[in-house]
Amino acid sequence: MSISLEHLSKSFGTEPVLTDINDVVPDGSLTALLGPSGSGKSTLLRMIAGLETVDQGRIVLHGRDVTHTPARRRNIGFCFQDYAPFYQLSVFDNIAYGLKVRRTAKVDIEREVRELLALVRLEAFADRYPRQLSGGQRQRMALARALAIKPEVLLLDEPFAALDAQVGGELRQWVRSLQHDLGITTLLVTHNQAEAMEVADRVVILNHGRIEQAGEPSAVYDNPVNHFVRSFLGPTTPFNGVAVRPHDLTFVDSTEGVAGVVADVIRLGFEVRVVVTFGDDTTSWVQLTHEEAQRRSVTLGQPVTVAVRR
Amino acid sequence: MMKTSPLWLRFVVVTYILLLVGVPLGFDYQRMFAHGWSGLVAAFGDPMMRSAMWLTVRVVVMTVPLNTVVGVGVALWIVRHPSWRSRLVDRIIDVPLAISPIIIGLMLELAYASNGWFGRPEAALGLHIIFSFPGIVLASVFVSLPLVSRQLIPLLRELGDHQEQTAASLGAGPVRIFLSITLRSLLWATAYGVSLTTARVLGEYGAVLIVSGNIAGLTQTLTLNIGSNFENYDAFHGFVGAGVLATTSIVILLVLGIARHRERKRHEHLA
Repeated sequence: MSISLEHLSKSFGTEPVLTDINDVVPDGSLTALLGPSGSGKSTLLRMIAGLETVDQGRIVLHGRDVTHTPARRRNIGFCFQDYAPFYQLSVFDNIAYGLKVRRTAKVDIEREVRELLALVRLEAFADRYPRQLSGGQRQRMALARALAIKPEVLLLDEPFAALDAQVGGELRQWVRSLQHDLGITTLLVTHNQAEAMEVADRVVILNHGRIEQAGEPSAVYDNPVNHFVRSFLGPTTPFNGVAVRPHDLTFVDSTEGVAGVVADVIRLGFEVRVVVTFGDDTTSWVQLTHEEAQRRSVTLGQPVTVAVRR
Repeated sequence: MMKTSPLWLRFVVVTYILLLVGVPLGFDYQRMFAHGWSGLVAAFGDPMMRSAMWLTVRVVVMTVPLNTVVGVGVALWIVRHPSWRSRLVDRIIDVPLAISPIIIGLMLELAYASNGWFGRPEAALGLHIIFSFPGIVLASVFVSLPLVSRQLIPLLRELGDHQEQTAASLGAGPVRIFLSITLRSLLWATAYGVSLTTARVLGEYGAVLIVSGNIAGLTQTLTLNIGSNFENYDAFHGFVGAGVLATTSIVILLVLGIARHRERKRHEHLA
């Protein structure tokens, strides 16, 4: 199911939160809404779910205008950042909630919940309560609960932000492959560009309530339309009066570059960050692989010539 | 594992509680059984005390459900629909705890007596509030007003409304969400508020003294009956009444404590 957003606008009081949002989330895609905090990305997600009213514009789910449809009639799976587990219900009853609301027969509920428990690898936890689960388990439970209603689209608000780095990293891969297997149109909100790049097959970059750019992650990364997108998607460093990616800079032996002196060398695992000060007192940093740095035997105070990689 | 506190601290705490609660309570029970079981049973035959006990039960049955419904509603309104009105109510609702009950009684009498503010409409409707049952309920409602909502407000703030919104996205309507999510989350805090309200209503003296007129056999609650027995040098019946009230409150606390413990165990990590 595709999601069309047409001229969507929203304000809280006199404060505009979203201005003229237009986008089409393609059927079966995993799209990341990426932006800094306060960019309006979570509000947009809540509007699609029906948890926030729309001031102007339309939301169309595969041809069905749902702009003013109440949340409970949209058939959209929504997961909060805190997973909002129903603490008073067991894991089984959490997942069964949407099916019970739909008056599904008891045997069918039993079968479907067991299938979902297997899908999210929580078979052994059916009788536990949410407080007895880890963060990652709670997230998987919340996903199963949302998937139980066979939603047309799945909306995830900062799904990995509440998890520690390692668990979050594993779950990213798992969610990506799950989405791929189910083929369900998924929209996730994140402020973490690395997460968006890793998980999504399409990113929509929001800033100050407007869409700055949308497209495939690598395309947006390589061809940012403006300085905001460039700096938000990855590190930049000033060089020759423009912002460039530090890994696009390198040291050259010719004179076709800018001469400077190595001011600092910082080793960060696989990469090496070399800070260079130029004659006009400007500073850039150059990102080299550890191997490159060793080959050039970069040392403090060394005179170097910096140029953009080609 | 729970940490064990030092021996001297436990000694101090236990001694303190014993001197404050245990010893006086023990004396009350001792006096209650001064004439043995048969004396105790005979004391319950006193028509004034029986009428007072029955009246207290009726007041509790009227007041507690009323304040529970109002308390849940007010707490939800204050937390979920913040506005200047709900903030004002949030401030005002604590007033009954800050004012001496006897003053509350006097204020209610000024407002609701037959020669008071609402005297005319009351007469027109054929209502008697002061010196009768409705007045006692009114005073009890007033003094125990914030006890339920005060238990719920911090819990509601902590819970937020994500569970309700998730339930809505799963297709649930407002009534179902309220019953299956909101009320269930509030169950234990509400039970605690209800038990506090019950204890407060059982024990109320000052406000009820003024509005009831303290007419033995008619508008005398159990606490008023205890007071009047002592005033009339009938200490034995006073001790019996006090023992009944104390036992009721202890039983309420015990039942609540056991239920809470069971609930908590159900949710504890099974490791």
